[in-house]
Amino acid sequence: MTRTRIARGGMVRLAAVAAAGALVLAGCGQAENLPDDEPDGPDPVEDAEEAGAEGDGEEVTIRFSWWGSDTRHQMNQDLIDAFEDEYPHISVQPDYTDWGGYWDKLATQTAGGDTPDVLMQEERYLREYASRGVLANLNDYDIDTSAIDETLLGSGEFDGGLWGIATGGNVRAMIVDPQAFEDAGVQMPDDATWTWEEYAEITEQISASTPDGVYGTQEYGFIEPDLAIWLRQHGQNLWNEDGEIGFDAELMAQRWQMSLDLIESGAAPSASESLELAAGGPEQSLVATNNGAISMFWTNQLETLAGVSGRDLQLMRYPGESQFERTGAFFKPAMALSMSADSDHAEEAALFIDWMLNSQTAGEILLTDRGLPANLEVREAILDQLSDSEQQAADWITEVTPEIVDATPSPPTGAGEVASLLERLNEQVLFGQLDPLAAAEQFIEEASAITGD
Amino acid sequence: MAAIGELSALRSKKGQATRAPSERNDGKAAVFFLLPWFVGLLLIVAGPLVASLYLSFTDYDLLSDPNVVGLDNYVQLFQDPRLSQALYVTFSYVLVSVPLQLAAALGLALLLDRGLRGLAIYRSVYYLPSLLGSSVAIAILWRQIFGTNGLVNQVLEWFNSVQPLIQIGTHGWVSHPDYALGTLMILNVWTFGSPMVIFLAGLRQIPEMYYEAASIDGATKWRKFIAITIPMLTPIIFFNLVLQLINAFQTFTQSYIISNGTGGPVDSTLFYTLYLYQQGFSNLNMGYASAMAWLLLIIIAAMTAINFFVSRYWVFYDD
Amino acid sequence: MMTDSTTRQAGAAVAQVAIAPGPATALPGSVPAPLPFARRRKGPVIRRALKHVLLVIFGALMIYPLLWMVASSFKPDALIFREPGLIPSEFTVDNYRHGWNALLHPFSHYLANSAIVVAGAVLGNLVSCSLAAYAFARLNFRFRGLWFAIMLMSIMLPIHVIIVPQYVLFSELGWINTFLPLIVPKLLATDAFFVFLMVQFFRGIPKELDEAARIDGAGHPRIFLQIMLPLSLPALATTAIFTSIWTWNDFFSQLIFLTNPDMYTVPIALRTFLDSTGQSSWGAMFAMSILSLIPLFVVFLFGQRYLVRGIATTGIK
Repeated sequence: MTRTRIARGGMVRLAAVAAAGALVLAGCGQAENLPDDEPDGPDPVEDAEEAGAEGDGEEVTIRFSWWGSDTRHQMNQDLIDAFEDEYPHISVQPDYTDWGGYWDKLATQTAGGDTPDVLMQEERYLREYASRGVLANLNDYDIDTSAIDETLLGSGEFDGGLWGIATGGNVRAMIVDPQAFEDAGVQMPDDATWTWEEYAEITEQISASTPDGVYGTQEYGFIEPDLAIWLRQHGQNLWNEDGEIGFDAELMAQRWQMSLDLIESGAAPSASESLELAAGGPEQSLVATNNGAISMFWTNQLETLAGVSGRDLQLMRYPGESQFERTGAFFKPAMALSMSADSDHAEEAALFIDWMLNSQTAGEILLTDRGLPANLEVREAILDQLSDSEQQAADWITEVTPEIVDATPSPPTGAGEVASLLERLNEQVLFGQLDPLAAAEQFIEEASAITGD
Repeated sequence: MAAIGELSALRSKKGQATRAPSERNDGKAAVFFLLPWFVGLLLIVAGPLVASLYLSFTDYDLLSDPNVVGLDNYVQLFQDPRLSQALYVTFSYVLVSVPLQLAAALGLALLLDRGLRGLAIYRSVYYLPSLLGSSVAIAILWRQIFGTNGLVNQVLEWFNSVQPLIQIGTHGWVSHPDYALGTLMILNVWTFGSPMVIFLAGLRQIPEMYYEAASIDGATKWRKFIAITIPMLTPIIFFNLVLQLINAFQTFTQSYIISNGTGGPVDSTLFYTLYLYQQGFSNLNMGYASAMAWLLLIIIAAMTAINFFVSRYWVFYDD
Repeated sequence: MMTDSTTRQAGAAVAQVAIAPGPATALPGSVPAPLPFARRRKGPVIRRALKHVLLVIFGALMIYPLLWMVASSFKPDALIFREPGLIPSEFTVDNYRHGWNALLHPFSHYLANSAIVVAGAVLGNLVSCSLAAYAFARLNFRFRGLWFAIMLMSIMLPIHVIIVPQYVLFSELGWINTFLPLIVPKLLATDAFFVFLMVQFFRGIPKELDEAARIDGAGHPRIFLQIMLPLSLPALATTAIFTSIWTWNDFFSQLIFLTNPDMYTVPIALRTFLDSTGQSSWGAMFAMSILSLIPLFVVFLFGQRYLVRGIATTGIK
């Protein structure tokens, strides 16, 4: 697949500049007359940087963009320093922000023809960017993927190319506070065999035998992974291999009914409160604030939850893993590394990606920041350097890995929009504005329309 | 208006030196004074404006080049149920919160104008919410205060328990679709600081000579307020009205931070601009978002034009 | 005090030009009028007390969020959401220590960057918007109404559809990752809000003053500098205050136009404490938010003095 990359953003640029540009000429001649034409001057930092770059003809600068918070920024800076030590002719310029800002910035930069050389991708948007020719096919470059976990690697392969390589993986788990079980006088279930019915009973019991405001579970219904697990237990999938809806409306409706029942029975907080919890993230979840026995999160969030809650938390399998046709658990690819198809320094960018994936140095800096490392050799080597809860998560993943049947097919273009559609319909169901079956049918119809074109 | 008539009469005492030759043309001076603005218009404003108009006739996903699709985006505007919801949310918000906020701002500006000890402190405290405005920290706070177990509900429970007559239900004030928009309206009133400061500046601007003249004529305080303060303040009231309206139609941040960008629960806080942002950046339909923006521009421009037209009947200019 | 001397000078200028038309009504004022403050002091004590009580009660509502933020900034991360009350059960200054150093630069670096952007923006808006406003308020020229409408139109399109073409434009100019996209537009009066604001204030200044100056042989530049600007001190203060605050808090355009962490400003830096998909440093974010509020608060406190000392009240004596 060859693409004409020259034209990227061409039309927009044309429109913006044509209008302004034509008039620039008229405006320029008079600009000297401006009484106040004294901008505060260009920034000294940049000037210095440019001067430095000119010093060495060989020197190459690549830009690396990611999302995250201060701990990750610091880690990535250490990563960059280590890489620059090893390859002194390459300097890596960081460009980072929070999750929401990241995508706005990335889209804008791409529209302006300034896609970062190396960037973080997420399953939800990977196909979106890849199918529009923004990303380079990593198979064309010298990147060693031999040690990368097969299922994780597979998540970045489609349309005849490799568009992103997951740097880590996580598994969705029930994060449980044994103290809450004890306070309620309820026996911890055996998570290898427990059913959804038992889950409903146990959580209802916990809510009933604890003070008001303490709940059995934090069920906000339907976020994608919870739905995916339920569907997979029944041998279906959110998306099939062709990127189409891969499940029946009835099955989706059953899962929704379950959420409603949990709220009804008091096992889970009210619809309003559930939404508040969903918006609050890990730090404000029931388990984190010692107000509940179970919250559902990814394995790499255990560290945060354990820290905030101040309790010894445990990881448990989702209910129903042995109840239906198969298990539902899956390995979620985290933080894929991609490369711009426009990069002026593709070789160096590829080298940097290869180094981040495969070097021990990088592995030791990152540990489980991106989830359990996708590189199996690195994973092995860093296990003994982890903190207690990271260790706990890693052990748990090792324990459940044999039960994982396959990878989830990678979502189609438009998956981001579908995620918010799901959220919206979920709210309508929880507030009783739509019955589960109608919502499920509407979801299938609208999701197909969004991803169809 | 009687008040304006009175003020005019007052002013006419000042003699006839005021008559300005209205036919005078200051073209050359205007070029000088408008030069920066003009350069800015041509260099920075016009290009992106025209570009967005062009994009509104295209299918543009930001990641690849736009394809011209004619009027498709505009046709789609009229078939989009979420757009109707966004219009409904935005119009209700504008109609309720703009007058409320302006009333609060004007009232407090009058109260904090002069004649009280500790004015600077009061002003600063009342301006604080506008300083904090849209910070992430505030979003967290709102969810805590208006949450199901939040401060508001605790106060209400206490209130319900101490007296039997008025019982107010407790809700998740920002997480329930029936109440979220109302809560945002109240929150908006709370940030009346900016229009308040503008009103304060306006009050300072009223020449003292009018009050002195009126005092000589034996006018009461109330009379002076009605006959001088209010008419002289009308250009500023008008300004605040026009700008608050323009801003309210583009309200984005409040809902963005409180609903995590979703406009939820159930689209109950889906402001027009938030939906536009979702379409443009989350769904990568920038062509459609641009068409939405131009529809919004037409709506706001129409509202502003009406405002300017009506202003002839109530805004008093000293020129 | 600078405030006072500026005020006096400006006042003198007004007095000079104003004496010529000599409005009859102003003559008695040649005996210094009693200050309004002193005049109203005689009001009933109870009413004033009541006013204060009400203002304090509302003030408490206004200030609660700030108190909460301050309280949270002194709590260990783990307690911020577990104990949402105002009084922390455990007190720590770690958030400040950690927050200051948690990012790639000490936080002062971001404060300095923001200060540069704000200074440029304030200067730009004060100069360019007042120039444009003078033209719209006082000059007769062709298509004035149309130009004014175009100016207002430019703030009716949401930033989200403008930002991408703007990015392309600035990228062509080589301005990405500099402060130019944040400052130059202000120097070119693109902030229609303030142009309109000043138009309204300029129109509130009695025209007799410029007519008198004209008779004295002053041209537009002199009228603008010696009458309009000094008499519009409250409007200029308002412009400076709002420009500072809005620029300081503006997240979106700074996020898009600044790509190198060396150039990051306060709002971007604050956001980098948070990650909705992983671990966030809430305490550090609160602590640095509080710190970054202090300069704003100082700007407001300082600026609002000019609202108090607006010279128009002294009028013509």
